[in-house]
Amino acid sequence: MQNNFEKLQEQKSLFLCLLISGLGILVATFFGKEVVKMVTDFTYIIVSGMLVVLSIIISARFRSTGNHGKAWLLFFGIAISWFIAETTWVVYELIYNQNPFPSSADAFYLLGYPFLFLFSTQYLKPFKKSISKKMIISTSIIAVSVLIPNLYMTLDNNSSESKLAITLGAIYPVADAIVLIPAMIGIVLFFRGEVNFLWTLLLIGILFEVIADTGFQYFTLDNSYYTGHPIDILFIWSYIMFSFGIYSHTQIFKKVKSVKHKNLFDSKLEN
Amino acid sequence: MNLDKEQLRKALVSLSIERTLLKMGEPVYEKVIKQLSREYHCYLPDCYEHPEYLNNVLKTVFGNSYISIVEAIKKELDGQLMEQPIEIFIRAISE
Repeated sequence: MQNNFEKLQEQKSLFLCLLISGLGILVATFFGKEVVKMVTDFTYIIVSGMLVVLSIIISARFRSTGNHGKAWLLFFGIAISWFIAETTWVVYELIYNQNPFPSSADAFYLLGYPFLFLFSTQYLKPFKKSISKKMIISTSIIAVSVLIPNLYMTLDNNSSESKLAITLGAIYPVADAIVLIPAMIGIVLFFRGEVNFLWTLLLIGILFEVIADTGFQYFTLDNSYYTGHPIDILFIWSYIMFSFGIYSHTQIFKKVKSVKHKNLFDSKLEN
Repeated sequence: MNLDKEQLRKALVSLSIERTLLKMGEPVYEKVIKQLSREYHCYLPDCYEHPEYLNNVLKTVFGNSYISIVEAIKKELDGQLMEQPIEIFIRAISE
């Protein structure tokens, strides 16, 4: 079991990562939009790349054994989809100098959501008996309520953006709200357990995404969004939250060096 | 090998816990084994005599949802639930 000092150290690193990435983007803003665009785009590649590396580590640890092994393979699907999406965004923006929204990057961003939902359901499958109808209904109500500001914004806009861009912008918060449901259930289920740290960080990460996607939609409709906008900090923070959540899991389930699997009959034979 | 009934129950319980945890994933099984060894200096078969150890370890790792794992162990032991010692074991890990 991780001791409190290790847990504290882990959280210190988490806060440090959030602080550095947030401040990095804010400071880059003072050097102009081109600089902040470069800094933000590369930060996205780094944080999404880290998520891929960590999901490979945890998938290799579980070697697709049992429900959790399958769940981590699905998580690898999320990480790789979002990494491809971020790379595509950067290529459109920095190499082709085109507006990356909407683009093929969105297909990969959206592909991550079914993977995230399936990961959650696969992970929670062994605990389905502890999931009550009341739990599903109350988490669904919370998820729907976080959607209201976005739906209002989408329906009540007179933006010059294309219908595709407006629809895509609205789909993201809906997808966030859907994945929010199992994340909230996970927090309730594993309350007081070591694995709860992963679910807490996943939930916070998804909440960051909800706010960021709503903000992205708002500023896109407003024509004031640019890569490196402060709203991007929340997207980057959500990757950091996800990464630290997985890192905590690799620590909880790290390989045992030498635990003897004593057989019941050993003592019999000894006698 | 002449095994008495109590030893057979112990083996059955141990096997059921092992199967349940392995269904979740090998690292989950290893984690429980490691925690039992580190905190209580015991092995999986010893949980039959000390169900409270397993109960505590499951609560530490999975929090509130430990009860689902207990239910799964119970399901594994389905045919043996009529036996009183196994019933006592299940009751103890459910607490």
